[in-house]
Amino acid sequence: MLFDTTQLVVALLWIAGAFALAIALIPLLGTLPPRGRFALISFVTFIAGLFFAAEFFLPVGEDNKNILTDPFQKMQGSLQVITALSLGLGTYGLVRMHLRNAIQRRPQWGYSLVLLVAFVVMAFFSVWNTMAEKGLFGLKRTPLLENAFTLLFDYTLIQLDATMFSLIAFYIFSAAYRAFRIRSIEASILMFTAMLVMIGIVPLGKLISDSIGLPAVQTAEMRTNPFMLENILYNLRLPQIASWIQETLNAPVQRAIEFGVGIGALAMAIRLWLSLERGIN
Amino acid sequence: MDWLIEFLPSSVERVNVWIGALCTFAIYSILYRENPFYRFFEHMYIGLAAGYALGPYLVDVLYRYWWEPIRTEGIWWLVFVVPFGMYLYFIYSERYGWISRIVIGALIGAYSGLAFQMFSSRYLPQLHSALTKPLWFPPNATGEIFLSNIFNNWIFLIILISVMVYFTFSFEHRGAVKRTAILGRWFLMIGLGAMFGNTVMARMALLIGRVYYLLDSWLMFRVGGG
Amino acid sequence: MEARSIWERMMQIDRRILYAILAVNIVAALMARVAIEPDIPPPVKRFYDTIEALQPGDMVMVSSTWSAGTLAENQPQFEAVLKHLMRKRVRFTIISFAPPARDISHRLARRLTEDFGYVEGKDWAHFGYAPDIIIAVKGMSEDIVQAIRQDVRRVPIAELEVMKGVKSLKDYKLVVDVTPSDTLTYWISYRPPNLKILYCPTSVMAAEAYTFLDSGQILGMITGAKGAYEYERLLGIVGLGTRFINAIQFSHALIIVFILLGNFAMFMQRRTSAS
Repeated sequence: MLFDTTQLVVALLWIAGAFALAIALIPLLGTLPPRGRFALISFVTFIAGLFFAAEFFLPVGEDNKNILTDPFQKMQGSLQVITALSLGLGTYGLVRMHLRNAIQRRPQWGYSLVLLVAFVVMAFFSVWNTMAEKGLFGLKRTPLLENAFTLLFDYTLIQLDATMFSLIAFYIFSAAYRAFRIRSIEASILMFTAMLVMIGIVPLGKLISDSIGLPAVQTAEMRTNPFMLENILYNLRLPQIASWIQETLNAPVQRAIEFGVGIGALAMAIRLWLSLERGIN
Repeated sequence: MDWLIEFLPSSVERVNVWIGALCTFAIYSILYRENPFYRFFEHMYIGLAAGYALGPYLVDVLYRYWWEPIRTEGIWWLVFVVPFGMYLYFIYSERYGWISRIVIGALIGAYSGLAFQMFSSRYLPQLHSALTKPLWFPPNATGEIFLSNIFNNWIFLIILISVMVYFTFSFEHRGAVKRTAILGRWFLMIGLGAMFGNTVMARMALLIGRVYYLLDSWLMFRVGGG
Repeated sequence: MEARSIWERMMQIDRRILYAILAVNIVAALMARVAIEPDIPPPVKRFYDTIEALQPGDMVMVSSTWSAGTLAENQPQFEAVLKHLMRKRVRFTIISFAPPARDISHRLARRLTEDFGYVEGKDWAHFGYAPDIIIAVKGMSEDIVQAIRQDVRRVPIAELEVMKGVKSLKDYKLVVDVTPSDTLTYWISYRPPNLKILYCPTSVMAAEAYTFLDSGQILGMITGAKGAYEYERLLGIVGLGTRFINAIQFSHALIIVFILLGNFAMFMQRRTSAS
């Protein structure tokens, strides 16, 4: 117990020291001229990129590791933490904006208050739930926690989230009727492909194909004799057409887009790594 | 009568289901017109979503990857991660905003460095697949390749090249290149049509999920296939 | 003022009427309970066959990044996959890369595993939430203990019975990615080369994945709720995919009819104006 307390105190002292150092560095960093700031940011960007690029390119030994594999393993936790802090930036910005709305009584500040109350209540139960799940600080899953978290998470947040996303279905239906017009060859191709895929990928396509008497099964003879009438009729089934569109016509289109995006992404990555992009640093 | 008794919010679980249904109808009220009821629930939703994320961030990430290694394993260098990581929050400061770019630069640099592995693992196998598609029956054909496969491979390659030509903007499209690019645009429309068809299915499924909840859980009608 | 023709009125119909028509269509299709056998597409068959080929005790990673927004598409897939894995007596671990996905997948898995007698920690485990998928996958490719450290209940990875003999992703047979976002490309990019991938996207992401199916980077795919229905037919179970499929196909039919109707109205209106 004494060892635990000592460790806790030492850990807290280290953390306090780290915060103090981070805060103390700020006025020091503030003395850097603009070119110095750019140089510092570019240097950090380059070193971070160099580490991962080298980790990939350096040859590996018999144990499938190079000299950077172990340092990466040790560092990965800290990278997860920094990513979480960067994601928390969004939450911080949101709360900051609505807090300002509520304090300054800006228009519709009442809704901001609703948001903040919901935020605080949910944050409290979410943190409590996650800690109780892990048994941290002796916390357990009490009936109050179970009921409150179930209500807030399963029956409020999940329902609201699912409903928000389902609104798009109505808009897509309305837009398809009001705006999807055949005015050019390209629009026609897009529309007819979409309709073939929509009807071919669902069982209704199979039902329609079966009801007009198209062969339901492709035999070995049909495969070896592609010009057989039965084989041609089989391939005119809506599910087969939809499948062919997706696998033979759509796949190369997606691959061409992938290649374009891939080359562009690599070029952009190199530019960012070398701080050649204006407006970032 | 039994149905009515079961339907009413007479137990904790039924109250929860009614609250879920209320949330659903509140959001759907926007379809009729803009109203305060919808706005209230919309803001509540954003607040709940933002608040919920704190649990996983603080406990699953910060506690697991930062606090516990420091506390139990004595990995002292980790103490610097959070204070210096929090330089990100200077993005809101006019005077010290540039300090946040040190951490942002580190993240950008890291992901840029990782792009080489991504390029090699993600795109090179696709290039290999495109370049090794048999365009005729190989000499030692074992009967596993059919004429339909050869035909499809040719179509695959023609579409791939024509769409790539369409996306090449380094030079002006003229003559045969222009015609290839137009062909590529038409094939692109096929791909977009396939995407649209699938997108419609996705959105409809989300709506169907909600309607199913209202009919099955709230109104307790046994619905759906099977 | 000139009276509007029927075609003009058709093209400018109040959108709330359209919403009501869609809602009625879906309710009617859900109530109808018509059963139509599907054609099982090859990617779904390959998905099923890949899991069917697993042996008891094999290790599978289920990457669950979906949350409530795509519940209707991903939940049927997630449930069917877990049931198939448990039927094969395969060990599995779940990891989430989005905060709500963590609790959704954990609570759902706890409920499903009870029916198959699976015990958390012994037959399956949940690794919790990791914000950075790239670092997590790269880290797990070398050493899961260092990358994940503890499961969602704070039990150290090394002490979990389910992780016996498993040091990294290289010891896994398969990863099943159930996701509404672009996590697949990160799994493809940073996993160990021998690790097979099966993909469970929402339908929005499916079209883009055909290139990966063609190159063999993913072995199989089930697309949204419809794919889950086809998979459930292969498994011989009735799940949410089976419940939704009628409504899905009749909503598609409705959209096609209305697209054609809208274009017909435009064509007729042009003819009327010209004459």
